[in-house]
Amino acid sequence: MIHAVRREARVFFAFAAMVPKLYLAYNAWVVVEFVVQILFMLVFVAFWRAVYANTTTLGGLDVGQTINYILLAQIVAPLVQSRLVSEFGGMIREGRIAIELLRPVDFQARYAVESLTSLVVFAVQKLPLVLIAGAFLGLRLPSDPAAWGAFALSLVLGSMVLFLTDWMFACLAFYSTETWGLGVVKIAVATFFGGALVPLQMMPAWLRSIALALPFSQGVAVPISFLAGVTPVSDLGALLIRQLLWLVGLGIASRLVFRQAVRKITVQGG
Amino acid sequence: MRRYLSLYGVFFVQRLKILMEYRVNFLIGATSTSFLQIGGVLAMWVVMRQIPSLNGWSFDEVLLVFGLVTISESITHMFADNLWTLGWQYIRSGEFDRFLVRPIDPLFHLLADRFCHDGIGNLLVGTALVVKAMSALHIPFTVATALYLVIAVLTGGAIFIALNLLTASSAFWLVDSIPVTFLVYNTYEFAKYPLTIYGRGIRIALTWLIPYGFASFYPASYLLGRNVGALAWMGPLVAVLFMSLAYRAWKFGLAHYTSTGS
Repeated sequence: MIHAVRREARVFFAFAAMVPKLYLAYNAWVVVEFVVQILFMLVFVAFWRAVYANTTTLGGLDVGQTINYILLAQIVAPLVQSRLVSEFGGMIREGRIAIELLRPVDFQARYAVESLTSLVVFAVQKLPLVLIAGAFLGLRLPSDPAAWGAFALSLVLGSMVLFLTDWMFACLAFYSTETWGLGVVKIAVATFFGGALVPLQMMPAWLRSIALALPFSQGVAVPISFLAGVTPVSDLGALLIRQLLWLVGLGIASRLVFRQAVRKITVQGG
Repeated sequence: MRRYLSLYGVFFVQRLKILMEYRVNFLIGATSTSFLQIGGVLAMWVVMRQIPSLNGWSFDEVLLVFGLVTISESITHMFADNLWTLGWQYIRSGEFDRFLVRPIDPLFHLLADRFCHDGIGNLLVGTALVVKAMSALHIPFTVATALYLVIAVLTGGAIFIALNLLTASSAFWLVDSIPVTFLVYNTYEFAKYPLTIYGRGIRIALTWLIPYGFASFYPASYLLGRNVGALAWMGPLVAVLFMSLAYRAWKFGLAHYTSTGS
């Protein structure tokens, strides 16, 4: 029993160890994405400053809270931009999926481990961005360690919610041979309803209820609101329970959906 | 010129046949990008319905800016998308050498090789936004405004293509040129809003350095009767200038092309 667990742990550790290497392999991309994110931040700061020239609060948020929120959203946004559907599409097209499914490791667990490790690499990678936003763009971070703790905890849970959602969506690759466009649609929906463009508080009631019925805000709006000074730490308990419910529900649903979808498999080549 | 036009027709028909082989895929690809723009417009609406104006620009006026740049972008996306893939799909694989031994211009061949349907969504959204904005703002749709719009959109498209060509030419040295193109291309995010919300430095950069301003802000200002002076008319000139600059970079790169071997 213990032997099996240790073996399992070793396998997953090996998968996890691959993740930073993957990121480091594309140096040019890291630099370019960094610069592009700063450019987008400049656009958003200019936009929101112009918005607040006419009003003091919007959706209950003042200009400082909103700028904090938008800058953090911009930094965290790449989390909702993963496209597992394209990855699945590639594996199916090339026939690699057959080998992946034959491996004596749980297919989904392996991706979950990779996704969690990515989050750590991601956090390290985005640290310079946070510092620059703090020094030049007016990002004001709280000094209260509890806010940081709440942020970290809900970000970890939220990123798992995003992963499971992405996993379910990726199962469409078993039905459609077009996955680039599907990935774009998913990013568009997740970015907006995750609250990466506008804080949920500012949305009219009908839009906000759609956003809350979808899982995306769990990985964007919920965690960053703790750091932006929008959500008080005292709300942590209730929000964590909601995240856990999402996790359990999506965990079960994603496995059911995958089991159903994988039967449809049509390998095109290889 | 006539020969190239008819050749483009031949390439286009072939490409269409390929696309029509998978109709659902065509539909998904063609509409997918519009979702990104709709998200952006929705966000703008959410904010602007709560404030009187953005730096003196009403919601519909901002939509005009947003719509114009979206149409301009769709032109590159449809007709010059292969500039993105030049490095990894043509140069790295050695397939680019095929273009060099054919009796047509290699740049023309590259662009004609793949009409990209993914840009259609942006074209539709952009057009819808411009029409909506113009009717809401009661801008009379005369022959003169129609002509001005066509020129503005073609100018914008040419600026997008020129900048992508300029950056894609780095593929002759770097092979993977996408990061460079990605960097410059994304600065068009600035041009989705009236340039007056930015500081002087960014405004000047968006006018003379990376002239996306001519793809949206300046023509929109002119149509709205806002005084931007000669800048309302300088777009085509700037586009020609950047196009010739980009074509030179392409020629220079082509002369230094050494193929990837094997």
